[in-house]
Amino acid sequence: MIDVKDLNKSFEGHQVLKGINEHIEKGEKVVIVGPSGSGKSTFLRCLNLLEVPTSGEIWFEGKEITKAKTKEVNALRQKMGMVFQHFNLFPHLTIVDNITLAPVKLKKMTKSDAVANAMALLKRVGLEDKAKAYPNQLSGGQKQRIAIVRALAMNPDVMLFDEPTSALDPEMVGEVLELMSQLARDGMTMVVVTHEMGFAREVASRVMFMDDGKIVEQNRPEEFFSNPQNDRLKEFLSKVL
Amino acid sequence: MEGFTRWISDLGEQFSYAFLENRRYMAYLEGFKMTLLISLAAVVIGVVVGVILALFKYTGSRNKKLRFLSVIANIYLTIFRGTPVYVQLLIIYYVIFSPLPVPATVAGFLCFGLNSGAYVAEIIRAGIEAVDKGQTEAGRSLGLTSGQTMALIVMPQAIRNILPALGNEFITLIKETAIIGNIGVLDVTKVGQNIGVSNFSYLMPLLLVAVMYLIVVVILSKLLAMFERRLARSDRR
Repeated sequence: MIDVKDLNKSFEGHQVLKGINEHIEKGEKVVIVGPSGSGKSTFLRCLNLLEVPTSGEIWFEGKEITKAKTKEVNALRQKMGMVFQHFNLFPHLTIVDNITLAPVKLKKMTKSDAVANAMALLKRVGLEDKAKAYPNQLSGGQKQRIAIVRALAMNPDVMLFDEPTSALDPEMVGEVLELMSQLARDGMTMVVVTHEMGFAREVASRVMFMDDGKIVEQNRPEEFFSNPQNDRLKEFLSKVL
Repeated sequence: MEGFTRWISDLGEQFSYAFLENRRYMAYLEGFKMTLLISLAAVVIGVVVGVILALFKYTGSRNKKLRFLSVIANIYLTIFRGTPVYVQLLIIYYVIFSPLPVPATVAGFLCFGLNSGAYVAEIIRAGIEAVDKGQTEAGRSLGLTSGQTMALIVMPQAIRNILPALGNEFITLIKETAIIGNIGVLDVTKVGQNIGVSNFSYLMPLLLVAVMYLIVVVILSKLLAMFERRLARSDRR
């Protein structure tokens, strides 16, 4: 589904990603962990071209998106939902308008279909009573669940999560992770950058460790956590577990 | 004590000469109307020019092929913000418009409008930049085009930063138009000056003029503060 070939990314001469090659299958739940500044977020943001790679290729569903025109990029982003660390809900719109804005404006659904769909999704996450509320009336955990719903409303083929629980109060982390686990069980393809090792262990089909712009080690979660090979990973795990 | 009462009655005479005799208050009123008219016309032109300049800067900074647009905008901003508006007024009226039969009034509000446009452009730019970058990213990540993201997500939020600052710009503009008498427009300042010169007594006319500006500015400031409070209230935080 996603193919990454020799991906490099530099910011003003500082090389953040150093030649990443990766392949992600449909239905996989890939969790990326690693120290701050290792390039995990940048890698994730390259996948939907929020960051434009300095060099290398990214293929998505048989198309080389690094060579695509703006119009095609917009179209492929509809297929890749993204959830941000700081939610990025639209504060001037109600929850239901947050969710229906993109499907309606991109003519994927009529307004009434989009609203019905939004209400069904809200019901699924138990927030249907918040439909007419504004984002700033919600708790962090509720905001993030709405942000996930907003991405799901576009019926994406893959969901990208950029540290979705890092900005939350500890007591709200659980509700967001629970929703993400539910999504995983439903078969959604997911790429998740996170510091939640419990989530990685339980939900991931594959865990990657990034350090200094490279994917240093990756494995199924059991082996990844019980039998790490790389010294840097051993050190990292000893600190976070 | 006697001197004081004489001074007071003297003031009364001055006031009656400067304001009441020969229905002179009508002259102030006419001048005042002119001041407001020019300010209003200048604000409209300023907003139009400002929006265009801000658009130029924004497109030019994001699209390499259209970079010349932001260069044009920057040159405009440098010239209009880097020279006194009085000098601009003189150049526009005596140099640019001298071969044309353009009334001084038109040259006046054009000049103030063009000048204000430079400041309005910066107000708009700052208002847009104050909107969190994550908002744009969220819009784009959903597949919205950059135009849709700007119109549906960024602008509605930027407006809240822009409108109060625009109100302040309007207030500044009203005061700045006081120099327009120098190209022969009878605004309220010029009226006061003329009445003062006719009697060699400037105190009352100029005081009256100052009070008129003050009243308008205070009223506008109050309206603006009310408006800002309303914006804050709908800001459901």
